[in-house]
Amino acid sequence: MAEELRVRLNDHPVSKIFPVKPKSTAKPFSESETPDSRYWSSFKPQSIPDFTPPISAFAFSPIHPHSFAVAHSATVSIFKSQTLSSSRRFSCPDVVSSVCFRSDGALLAAADISGLVHVFDIRERMALRRLSSHKAPVRFVKYPFLDKLHLVSGGDDAVVNYWDVAGQTVISNFLGHKDYVRCGDCSPVDDSVFITGSYDHTVKVWDARVDNSKWIAEINHGSPVEDVVYLPSGGMIATAGLNSVKVWDLIGGGKMVCSMESHNKTVTSLCVGRMGGDQGGENRIVSVSLDGYMKVFDYGRAKVTYSMSFPAALTSVGLSPDCSTRVIGGANGKVFAGKKKVKDAGEGEKKSLSLWSVKSDESRRRALRPTNFRYFQRGQGEKPSEGDSLVKEKKGVKLTRHDKLLKKFRHKEALVSVLEEKKPANVVAVMEELVARRKLIKCVMNMEEGELGLLLSFLQRYCTVQRYSGLLMGLTKKVLETRAEDIKGKEEFKGLLRNLKREVNQEIKIQQSLLEIQGVIAPMLRIAGRR
Amino acid sequence: MAISKLHLLLLLSITLSLHRPVLSDNDEEDNLLAGINSYRTSLNLTTLTHNENAEWLIKETNCAAAPFFFFFPAGDIIETMIRGGKSYVTSPLSFSNDAKKLLVCTGNTVSVFSVATGLQITSLEGHTAPVTTLIVVPASSAAQKIISYCWTASLDGTIRHWDFSGPEILKTIDVQFPIYSMVIPSLLTEPQQIESSKLVAYVSVEDTSLAKQGSKELRGHVRRFNLAKERIRGDNLKETEEPKSLVISPSGEFFGICHKRKIHVWNVPSGGSKNDLPKKMTLHHTKAINAFAFHPTERIIAAGDVTGRVLIWRGFGTRKLALGNQMKKLKTMVDVDNPGVRDEDDAESCTTWHWHSAEVNVLNFSSDGAYLYSGGREGVLVVWLLETGKKKFLPRIGSPLLYFMWSPDPTLCSVVCADNQIHLLKMPSMEILRTISGIKPPPSLPKMYEGLASTVAFDRSSGMAALCTENYCVQLYNLLNDRGMSEVQVCERNHQPGDEITVVVTAVAISLDGSVMSTTEVKLPEGGIGGLVSLKFWESEPDNKAFTLSTVVYEPHKDAGVSAIAFHPTRSMAVSTSFAGDFKIWVSNSDKNQTIKDSSWICHAVGSYKKKPMTAASFSGDGTVLAVAAENVITLWNPDKNILLSVLGANHAPITKLCFVGKSELLVAASHFSKPELSVWNTSKLSLSWSYGLRIEAVTSAVDSSAFAVLALIPETFKKGKSKKNIFRGRDGAILLFNGSDPKPVSIWTVMKAEGGSISFLEADKSQLRLAYVNGSHEYVVFDPNSDETHERSAIDYEGLAGHEETTGDVGYASLYGQLPDYEKKRMEDSESLVTPLVSSERPWETIFSGSTLNFPPLQKLCAEFFESLMEKRTTVVE
Repeated sequence: MAEELRVRLNDHPVSKIFPVKPKSTAKPFSESETPDSRYWSSFKPQSIPDFTPPISAFAFSPIHPHSFAVAHSATVSIFKSQTLSSSRRFSCPDVVSSVCFRSDGALLAAADISGLVHVFDIRERMALRRLSSHKAPVRFVKYPFLDKLHLVSGGDDAVVNYWDVAGQTVISNFLGHKDYVRCGDCSPVDDSVFITGSYDHTVKVWDARVDNSKWIAEINHGSPVEDVVYLPSGGMIATAGLNSVKVWDLIGGGKMVCSMESHNKTVTSLCVGRMGGDQGGENRIVSVSLDGYMKVFDYGRAKVTYSMSFPAALTSVGLSPDCSTRVIGGANGKVFAGKKKVKDAGEGEKKSLSLWSVKSDESRRRALRPTNFRYFQRGQGEKPSEGDSLVKEKKGVKLTRHDKLLKKFRHKEALVSVLEEKKPANVVAVMEELVARRKLIKCVMNMEEGELGLLLSFLQRYCTVQRYSGLLMGLTKKVLETRAEDIKGKEEFKGLLRNLKREVNQEIKIQQSLLEIQGVIAPMLRIAGRR
Repeated sequence: MAISKLHLLLLLSITLSLHRPVLSDNDEEDNLLAGINSYRTSLNLTTLTHNENAEWLIKETNCAAAPFFFFFPAGDIIETMIRGGKSYVTSPLSFSNDAKKLLVCTGNTVSVFSVATGLQITSLEGHTAPVTTLIVVPASSAAQKIISYCWTASLDGTIRHWDFSGPEILKTIDVQFPIYSMVIPSLLTEPQQIESSKLVAYVSVEDTSLAKQGSKELRGHVRRFNLAKERIRGDNLKETEEPKSLVISPSGEFFGICHKRKIHVWNVPSGGSKNDLPKKMTLHHTKAINAFAFHPTERIIAAGDVTGRVLIWRGFGTRKLALGNQMKKLKTMVDVDNPGVRDEDDAESCTTWHWHSAEVNVLNFSSDGAYLYSGGREGVLVVWLLETGKKKFLPRIGSPLLYFMWSPDPTLCSVVCADNQIHLLKMPSMEILRTISGIKPPPSLPKMYEGLASTVAFDRSSGMAALCTENYCVQLYNLLNDRGMSEVQVCERNHQPGDEITVVVTAVAISLDGSVMSTTEVKLPEGGIGGLVSLKFWESEPDNKAFTLSTVVYEPHKDAGVSAIAFHPTRSMAVSTSFAGDFKIWVSNSDKNQTIKDSSWICHAVGSYKKKPMTAASFSGDGTVLAVAAENVITLWNPDKNILLSVLGANHAPITKLCFVGKSELLVAASHFSKPELSVWNTSKLSLSWSYGLRIEAVTSAVDSSAFAVLALIPETFKKGKSKKNIFRGRDGAILLFNGSDPKPVSIWTVMKAEGGSISFLEADKSQLRLAYVNGSHEYVVFDPNSDETHERSAIDYEGLAGHEETTGDVGYASLYGQLPDYEKKRMEDSESLVTPLVSSERPWETIFSGSTLNFPPLQKLCAEFFESLMEKRTTVVE
């Protein structure tokens, strides 16, 4: 009883005003925002000029500005990661297949398909060494983790070489792969341990200190290995082959931890990305594939947490060590680069410090006096303490300009003002309200020339949008019928009408092709339903 | 004490469907007729002949199958039967002297509400026809504020004096004419003289002797009535076509009526000279005047006309109404130029204010005379500063205003709206403090939706009804407590006064457990563009009956309208059918994740049958079968797998209602366009059990038993039959209660305003099954159809049948009440004489609901009368 009473007393159904609201649109059934999707979709796309394909590899400098190298056809370009502008360019005699920065970022190694490995000095812009031993195209070259003197390379001759860079000599040959060596990675914890992946379906783990050219461990991916990458712990690796990505535990004896097969075509490249900047954050495997999708794989939960499509087959992916830049190379020579907005923590701190000092100075200098306007506002920003009971201000309904005009029954002005706003959902909402008041046609009749142009250009743009077409198609017809004379005479309406006609024709074509598809599908569904 | 008796009450009205002899072929029918006729001859009644052409066959049967039991436990009646949905807005309300109580005329009674809580405290019962005037005796000093006396006048031709704190009747005065309005000037001029010896009232009555057929006759009379001598003066002050309502000035000096384009004002003769007739003057205007008001202190009249203008006459009546000695002097001033005053009207000046776009219904001055309040169809209360004409507004009240009353407390006022709401306003700020919410009237539907919309739904578990009302609202009304609970704004639009209907809520449905409500609304297109149908699902928290929007589906069936919505009895599943020929099954995903916040309804399956329009749907009691009517066949579906199970044969007309009967395998189908039919199908045998040619408004079935009830309209041809005319006085419908596959109704109740009505079983507690009936104008009754049945039925029949009893004498049960000494006779006369109501054009006082259950005579009195009447009944029959 008491409760009922309260309900009644609080219930004031009258004196409410309802602003005109657009129709609510369908929300996705699943949760739209996950931390992953928020993180991975926040890379802001940046434009980079197209290259001649193929774009075979990216490499990021491990040193702070994290400039990156793009290997495209026979050239390696160095980009600054802040501005994404090209700074340097190195040419090789043949198509470059792999690039790698040295751990101090001073040198760059590039392998080409003529069987050579080049070492460039980035600052001096010159080729320092040329390593030749491979008898077939070299497919990967890599500096060991912190080692500045050696290089690992592998190629189509199924040989893995361990180089002494200064002397341009091969220290040891690792033989064991039975097919092309396509990829490899060096352990992030040990300078002398590295892995290579080959088209013989295996990934082999080598140790440079062991001289008998025998691998220390081997895992079988089950299909030709396209890319292999060490996970940051150094104990696990991820391999890509065909459409699957598999995660293996090396320390635990080469056991498979999990596999991901959500790509539809061959996975071409892998890299490891960290969510949430430098410290903390979980690691994800980022894979790209020929199907044009980039997928983010959470190997901790064995789940694809984000996927993003690109308008081309993808061949390579790279993420800067601080995860602020993401570059993806397409098979057609396009580079899809994305940058995160980086909050420069150091700078912000400095700024706040300076602010603080200035403020303290100022406050000492001037106490607020009643001559100052802020004197009357002092204390309003005070936060309530825990024991305080809050009295909230009643929130009024926010009325837009067209709402106010509708309230005054100035229908045409409301329609014109909302047309000027360029928000199609609002325009349609106002039109619906006018229909409910039986005033829309009258409004159209009374429109002046300029306003009519506004309306026509709106109709021309939106009349075939599915969400609005139910109302707008009918209205377009009505406008053309009722205002035919006014429209005919004017030059400026001609373009609008032409566009309108084109839009409608296009829509009709789409509808027809949809009908054709339906005609194809319907019998199939009928057959499927019979079973 | 239980007495079992045979009784002749039930009028079993059955059409033996001639086109489909399922119930009986012709031979059987003849046998049946013969049986009835032999019985009738034994009762000395005219025999019935079998008429092939007649649609209807009346069977007056002695209902031996249903012997009635008559219990007299004290207070039982009030518990078992509830009437409600009375209008609060038939006549102006009144505040008590301490402004803590609010007196409202509600049909035959006056309800007293508490201002503080908005709940009803008590009611004044005694009048036998609607109360039209309510005058609270004003207090002259602060000490008298506790005095709580009032005068009421009613259409039953009596004036009563009450102490409403009691409540008790102090005095009853018989005027013998139905009173439409009454003023007592001396209460205002000389409040000290509370003793009624000198009280003179002016009444607006209807001369019932002239009321027969002559529409040209001047039936409305304004007369003077001496309350002390109980004598009406023979001479009329004014005669009009219809009785007009009297308006009195707050000072008590003047009163008047508005009649067409004129206002007639009389001044009240002061002093004791009883033979002084009041002097009359007239003010003219060019448009019909709707309302007017007197200034509390000065000689100012404000009048509102049909076009929305407000006219202010200042200084009226200085010549004609002035006292005798001054009159001669003033006569010389006739030529003085009076700005704005028409013809030779007696006023100094007339100014016009114009803000309202439509007619002005409400006009009232504030108690100090500084402000003028006006309101009308726009639902906006306008406050005019009388000096300057400056305006202030209280907008968006949402319904046409009918009355504005100020209270003795200067900070409290009340506004009465046409949608049966009384708003209490906090005065200087004009905030709505509280709302006393009656049941809202039904919305006016556009022609094409008449008979197709289902605008009433019932929550069986809690006894609530969801009623579609004006302004795109659904009101949730507690039928058991007779109180409005909450309101759901289905379509978020502002109230648009006066325009044609463009947005309609066409259907509302509530799930069996009352947690989900579904509504459909239609935006009618303008010139073929912009039409929109939307289906909405609303969900409520388990313990709180406030529904919140869960899902909106725009154009659920492309641009076709939704014809029906039905809910699954146990799961969160619903089906909507459309005229376009498909139905959709909707499921909620709240089963998985328990929070209501993110639950939504999605389409689970779509089905259609030969592209026929789907017109009705119903789930079976256990929810395993879904019946959907496809024009004139019934299709049975498995709702989970969306498989067509079978098709039940053809009716002759499109089916409009479908209902599974509880746990049994019966399915009731009703159709009414072109050829009305009620048919009952057996779904296990896939065959028709029986059918009647009745036009059905609503069908309901009990969940646990195999009982079901239908609301049928009585056909015109049948009603016009000679002997039946009196039986069905004004009643156009009947509720028939069936049990299982038995084609013979268990009981029948005849009801009024059945068109647009709705019925439902309520199962608030398992022990008691109740039937709720809401009629076309949203008045309702809740009663127990099984136990104590005659008792209930008599309570309904009580008003309508009593009048008939004198003329024919063969419907015996009403004689039970005919002999009651008090008021029965007068009431009967009134029901004969009433022709025109004051406010509405219908006849609300004649409906079965206008009386209260509390109006029922005391049982101790009844008992003796009852036996007596029974005895007499028998003798008359034998004669």
